[in-house]
Amino acid sequence: MNLTVDHLTLAHGHRVVVHDVSFTVEAGEMVAILGPNGSGKSTLLRGMARLHPPRAGRVLLDGRDIRAMNSRHVARVLAILPQAPAGGLDLTVRELAFRGRYPHQGLLQRVTRRDIDAVEWALDATDSLHLADRPLAALSGGERQRAWIAMALAQEPRILLLDEPTTFLDVAHQIEVMHLLRRLNARGITIVAVLHDLALAGRFTSRIIALREGRLAFDGPPSAVLQPEALERVFGVPMLVLADPDTGLPIPIPRPDPALCPAAPTPAPAQARPGAG
Amino acid sequence: MANMAAETAAPAGSVPSGALPRGAWRPLAILLLGLAVLAAAGYASLMFGAVRLSPGEVWSGLTSPEDVFARNVVWQIRYPRLLDAMIVGAGLAVSGALLQGVTRNPLADPTILGVTAACGLASASLIVYDPQSPQWAIAAACVVGGLVGAGVLYVIAWRGAVSPLRLTLAGVALSAFFGAAIVGLLASSRTFLQTSLGFLAGGLYGSEWRDLWAALPWFAGGLAAAVLLAGRLNILALGDDVAAGLGLLTDRTRLMVLAVVGILTAAAVSIAGLVSFVGLVCPHIARYTVGSDNRLVIPFSALYGAILVVLADLGARLIIQPAEVPMGIITAAIGAPFLLYLVRFR
Repeated sequence: MNLTVDHLTLAHGHRVVVHDVSFTVEAGEMVAILGPNGSGKSTLLRGMARLHPPRAGRVLLDGRDIRAMNSRHVARVLAILPQAPAGGLDLTVRELAFRGRYPHQGLLQRVTRRDIDAVEWALDATDSLHLADRPLAALSGGERQRAWIAMALAQEPRILLLDEPTTFLDVAHQIEVMHLLRRLNARGITIVAVLHDLALAGRFTSRIIALREGRLAFDGPPSAVLQPEALERVFGVPMLVLADPDTGLPIPIPRPDPALCPAAPTPAPAQARPGAG
Repeated sequence: MANMAAETAAPAGSVPSGALPRGAWRPLAILLLGLAVLAAAGYASLMFGAVRLSPGEVWSGLTSPEDVFARNVVWQIRYPRLLDAMIVGAGLAVSGALLQGVTRNPLADPTILGVTAACGLASASLIVYDPQSPQWAIAAACVVGGLVGAGVLYVIAWRGAVSPLRLTLAGVALSAFFGAAIVGLLASSRTFLQTSLGFLAGGLYGSEWRDLWAALPWFAGGLAAAVLLAGRLNILALGDDVAAGLGLLTDRTRLMVLAVVGILTAAAVSIAGLVSFVGLVCPHIARYTVGSDNRLVIPFSALYGAILVVLADLGARLIIQPAEVPMGIITAAIGAPFLLYLVRFR
């Protein structure tokens, strides 16, 4: 199942924030959307999930316009996790996961065997079974993020869209969430995530779509997009790209003014710093 | 590390016990207890009043037409008034539960947000225009007023982004506006001052079978719709983007919920006038006792609302016997401190 963004233009009121963007995400891909603040990446992701009506253009799910489809039918194959969802704090993890069955349920929301199986699978896939009966309010940020991903997985989606799933998490939980997304991708779920962290994007995705001022700036594999010149054009700061000693994958970091680095009396050779970017 | 622990603890494919959210025994026990309290309060409200009846006289008044005096007191006066009280309480409490759910605002209530006053303005207008209006027409006018009030609330509060603060402020303004219009209307009509007071303060003085029959279809339909909307309200509680991502049509759901609020509030206002705070208090007690799942909160709000108004009406009849105070004064006496408690401690 593929998702095509076709000449999509999105606006907040009179302000156009995504200009005429086109690309196709094929089944099984793992894609990162990058860009500076205000470049329209979150709006683009919301538009791809029919949460933001287009000013012009379309989003196609296997060739069918997503806005013309029944919204619940879309939700059975396409799940979106907004950035830092605020609701549901009084629910247990399992109750939250059951909410993800909504698009599959009838008017009376009778729970079927399939609902139970899908929820257990989602809890298992996110390593949340041992948290299942704890309320969200009692969980750490990383555990809570896994619970929300479990809710999205309980939808049994073919495509999962996530808006900054690692924001507000410490480095350990960032890696944990990215590992989880990779495992889900290996199980055949197409993943598109808006990411802030360039190093995470470079290591865990196979394709990067970069936005600048609402326009598509680059679209390609990390090795092509995560280059100093390309990144400078997107983010507007001098960038340095190191090679991960373990994998050889690019680790981009911004290049600071050496005069403003108190611990470096002479411009020191840059070293990989976790969490930079 | 967490991975391995989870995998060894629960092998894939096994379904642990308690796969359904929450055990069912607790709500069931609370339900039985609540029904018992309602039955006791109901029976007491059939016994006490200007004339005191024994439990046996109440029973014969309910079941046999032979004891003419008991029959008249119980069947013609107190029993319909009891049923009216239950409809008023349940209708307002479910309206409150729906409003608190749809606005994600614990202070939402049909009175605070002006829906009650909109119903009251419509009904007062009809009564001033034609004092002989039949009760079914008054109920219908209340429904029209309630739908208009809910619609205005929707247009004002949800143009663009949803904001609980904006909704509350819009509601307070609407409430003040409609309330002033009612008082102005009643004052300029120069008649029915006594009944006007009962209407404005909210009460069940003189309510009878025809009030019940006129309100019952609206109440029953509204309650059924509320129960059916409860699951969607649960989804809406996760936030607009999550809900829309799950395939919920958020704007349509909000409109439907507000329409049901208008209808249920109208059913209550057509019987008892402007009763305040029932819709604020009862959903909180429901959530305190059965949790936040709206599929439980809505029916339990109805139960607690019925209990509260039956007891408040009983109190209204007993405090200054043989005269009555308007029942709304008693719900306000309970509800206003509760509102202050919510504002201060929650």
